[in-house]
Amino acid sequence: MPLVRGAIYAVIGFVIGAGISLGITSITGEDSTEPLIVLGYVFAVIGWLMGVGMWRTWGRGWFGKPTENNPGGGWERYIRFNTDHKVIGIQYVVIFVVVFLLAGLLAMLIRVELADAGQNVMTSTNFNTTMSLHGIMMIAVAVAIMMGGFANYVLPLIIGAEDVAFPRVNALSFWVVPPVVVLLLLSPLFGGFDTGWTAYPPLATQTPIGGLLFELAFLTFGISSILGGLNFIATIITQRAPGMTWGRLPIFAWAVLAASVISLTATQWVAYGMLMIIFERIFNMVFFSPPGGNALLYEHVFWFYSHPAVYIMILPAFGAELEIISHFARKPLFAYRWVVRAFGLIVFLSFLVWAHHLFTSGMGDELHGPFMVLTELISIPTGIVFLSALGTLWRSKIRLKVPLLFAVGVVFNFTIGGLTGIFLADVATDIALQDTYFVVAHFHYTIMGGEIFGAFAAGYYWFPKITGRMYNETLGRIHFALMFIFFNITFLAMFIPGTVGMNRRIAEYPPEFEFMNLVTTIASIGLGLAFVPWVYNMLNSWIRGPKAPDNPWDAKTLEWQTSSPPPLENFEEMPTVTGDAYGYGDESVVHSVFGRRKGSAHPPVPAEGD
Amino acid sequence: MTAGAIWVLLTIIAELSFTSLNIFGDAASEQGEFIDDAFVLLMLLAIPILTFVITMIGYVFFKFRAKGDELEDSAPTRTHTKWVGFWLIWTTVLCLVVIVHPGYTGLLEIRQTSAEEPDLTVNVTGRRWQWMYEYEGRGVQLLMKDDTLVLPNHSLIRFNITAEDQDVIHSFWIPAFRMKIDAVPGLTTYMDVNTTEIGHFNDDVNFRVQCAELCGKDHSLMFTRVEVVEPAEFEQWITNR
Ligand code: HEM
Ligand SMILES: [Cu+2]
Ligand SMILES: [Cu+2]
Repeated sequence: MPLVRGAIYAVIGFVIGAGISLGITSITGEDSTEPLIVLGYVFAVIGWLMGVGMWRTWGRGWFGKPTENNPGGGWERYIRFNTDHKVIGIQYVVIFVVVFLLAGLLAMLIRVELADAGQNVMTSTNFNTTMSLHGIMMIAVAVAIMMGGFANYVLPLIIGAEDVAFPRVNALSFWVVPPVVVLLLLSPLFGGFDTGWTAYPPLATQTPIGGLLFELAFLTFGISSILGGLNFIATIITQRAPGMTWGRLPIFAWAVLAASVISLTATQWVAYGMLMIIFERIFNMVFFSPPGGNALLYEHVFWFYSHPAVYIMILPAFGAELEIISHFARKPLFAYRWVVRAFGLIVFLSFLVWAHHLFTSGMGDELHGPFMVLTELISIPTGIVFLSALGTLWRSKIRLKVPLLFAVGVVFNFTIGGLTGIFLADVATDIALQDTYFVVAHFHYTIMGGEIFGAFAAGYYWFPKITGRMYNETLGRIHFALMFIFFNITFLAMFIPGTVGMNRRIAEYPPEFEFMNLVTTIASIGLGLAFVPWVYNMLNSWIRGPKAPDNPWDAKTLEWQTSSPPPLENFEEMPTVTGDAYGYGDESVVHSVFGRRKGSAHPPVPAEGD
Repeated sequence: MTAGAIWVLLTIIAELSFTSLNIFGDAASEQGEFIDDAFVLLMLLAIPILTFVITMIGYVFFKFRAKGDELEDSAPTRTHTKWVGFWLIWTTVLCLVVIVHPGYTGLLEIRQTSAEEPDLTVNVTGRRWQWMYEYEGRGVQLLMKDDTLVLPNHSLIRFNITAEDQDVIHSFWIPAFRMKIDAVPGLTTYMDVNTTEIGHFNDDVNFRVQCAELCGKDHSLMFTRVEVVEPAEFEQWITNR
C-alpha cells in the first residue's frame, strides 16, 4: 500500500527533521517549536513522496539502479505515484472535488453565523479561522481544478500527444498536493489562523501554529503550480501531433498555455512572500514588521502573484467555455485568432495591474493612476472572449445539453463579475468599496460564476471520455438550474450590503444589514443543496451509467477520436492533423487523419490552409 | 431587429428602475458625493452591457436551437471583420471614457487637498481592537472605545493615521464619508474629507469609524461612533472636554 508507506515514511521524515532542528535550537538557545515544525515538515514531505512511489519510479534512477515504471494496473494506480496524465488528472479532480465540498460546508457555517447580526454559532476567533480556511481551500480548488484536473487529462489528448513532456514531474506536482490538504485541515487543531487567505503581516507573523501550517501549505502548493505550468508549456511546445500548427491548436490548449505562463512565472512571488513570513517567524528576521520591516512590501509581493493567479483560474475556464460553445453550437469558433491574441494580451496585462488591490493601502498616491488605467484596459481583451462566445452562438444550431448550459452560464455570470471589476478598478469608487462585501460578491461572480461554472461545464463535457459512461442529462439540468438560480440570488444580494456600508471578514455587523444577509444565507443553503443531485449523478453514472460512445458529442477535437476512456498512451494509432478543429459546416476542413503507427515517421503534412 | 428592440426595452426598464431606486443614503462629504455619482455613472454604463448579454443569450436560445436530436451543422462563418472591428472600437471607447471620467476626474477630486490647510487635524492610532484620537492643537484626546468621534460640519478635516508599532494593519473607514485608508504600523497615512452633512451614529450606522482590514479576533467590533455637528456646537464640545 503506497499510501500507508508514504504516511510511515512521512512520520519518519518528520522525526528526522524535527530531531535535526531540536539539535540546532538546543545549541543556539532559540525557541524550538516552530523551527521544529518547519524542518520536520520538509523532511516529512520528502518521506511522503518517496513512500508513495517516487523512489521506485524515479529515485532509484538517480543512483544508477533500475526503476520500475508501471503506469497501468487497476484502481490501485490512482493511489500511488503514477505518471499517466489521465490518472493524474483524475487524482487532481477527485481530491479537489473533496476539498471543494469541505470548503463548501465551511461556507455554510459562515452563512449561518451571518444570518443575523450578533453572534450565533461561533466565537469570532473560530469565525475568522473558518472564513480563512474556506478562502484558501477554495482558492486552491480554483487554481488547480482546471489546470491540475481537466487540463492534465485533456491537454495531451487534445493536441494528439501520448503524455505530457515530463510525466514524472507531473506526478510530483500532484503528490505534493496531499500534504497541502493535510496541513490545511490540521491547522484548526493548532489554533487556526485569523488572517484570511491573503495573510497580511504583521498579523500573519503573530498567528498561532495553525498560521504556520497555512503558510507552509501555500508555499508547497506554489511548488506544485510552478512545476505544472512548466510541464504544460513544454508539452504544448514539443508534444503536438504532426500538423498541429499554432493556427490549428484548439482554443482550450491556447488557454492552458496562457495560464501556464502565469503559473510558471508568477507563483514564485507568493512563495517568496510565504517564505519570508516563515523566516520572520522562525529566524526572527525582519521583512514586513516594523521597526525595520515594511508591511506594504508584502502586499506588493503577494498581489504580484495573486492578481495574475486569478487568470490562472479563469483562462482555462474561458478555453473550456469557448470549446464547448463551438462544439455544441456546431459552428466554427468565432474570431478564433482574435481570442488567441486576447489571451496573450490578458497574460501580459495581468502582470501589470496588481496594485489595484492596494488603492487604500497607503501606497503612494501617484501609483493610483497607472494601475487604474492598466486594470481597465484588461476589459478590452476580455470583451473579445464575449464577442467570440456570442458570435459563435449567433445563427448557430444549438444543442442544449448540460455542458452548453454551464458554458453559457459562464458568459452570463462573468459579465456581472467583469463589470463589477470596473467599479473596483476605478480609484474613487474602490476607496469606498475596498474591503466590503462588494468585493466578496465580485470575486465570487468571477471565480465561482466564471471559473467554477466553467469547471462544471468541463466536468459534464468530458465525463463520458474520462469515465467511459454517460451522466444523466435530467439530473444534470436540475443541477444547473438550481446552481444557477441560487448562485445568482446569493451573490447578487451580497452586492447590496457591500455598497451601503458592510465590510467583509466580520463575524458581527450592524443590525441594519440583517435583511440582505438573511436573503444571502437562505439562498446559499439552496446553493449548497444544488450539489446533491450533482454528487449523486456523478457517482451513480460513474458506477452504472450507460456506456458512452467514443464521441458522444460528435466533436472534432482529438480527445474524442480515441476510445472512452482512452488507452494507455492515448491513441491506438497516432493522429496527423490536417485542418483546424472547428470546421463545422465545412466539409473541406478535416481536423485529423489516423493511421500513423506509434513512433513511425509521419507522412508529409499539408500546410496550414486557413 | 427583434433582438435589438428587446435589448433597448430591457435597458430602459433596467436604467429606470435603477435610477428610481436610491440605494445609498446621502454621502456626508464632498468626496463621498463624487464617489456616489461615479458609482451611479458606472452603473448606468454597465446596465446596457448586461442587458445586451442577457438579450443575446435569451435570443439565441429561443431562435437558434437545433430541432430534436438532429445533428445539422451551422453555416461555417469563422469571423466577421466588421463586427470584430466594431466590437473593438466600442469596448475601447467605453474603456477610455471610464478612464477619463470617473477615473482621472476622480483622482483630481479625491486625495488632492493635501496642500490645503485643514480646519481640523485629527491624529488617529489604531491598535487591536480600538481607535484612539487626538485633536491636534486642541488639547483633546479620545482614548476609550466608547467615546464618540465628534467632527465639525462644512470643514476640511485631515486624519493622520497610523497603528501602534507592535500592532497589525487596520483600515480607517468612515462609510458615511465613503473614504478609507489603511492604518499601517510604522507608516503614517492621511485621509482628507470635506464634511457636508450633520449626522449621528444613532440615526445612521454609516456614521462610524469601522476597521476595514482584518486584524484578528475582534475586528468586527473595532468601530467608533461618529457625530458630525455644526462648527459652533463643535467648538463648544471641545471647550467642554
Ligand atoms: C474584468 C476583469 C476584472 C477586473 C477589472 C477586476 C478588478 C478587481 C479589483 C480592482 C479588485 C480589488 C478590489 C478591492 O480589493 O478593492 C478585485 C478583487 C478581486 N478579484 Fe477581480 N477583477 C477582474 C476579474 C477577476 C477575475 C477573472 C477573477 C478570478 C477568477 C477575480 C478575482 C478577484 C479576487 C479573488 C479579488 C479579491 C481578492 C481579495 O481581496 O481577497 N477578478 N478585482
Ligand atoms: Cu486583481
Ligand atoms: Cu480590523
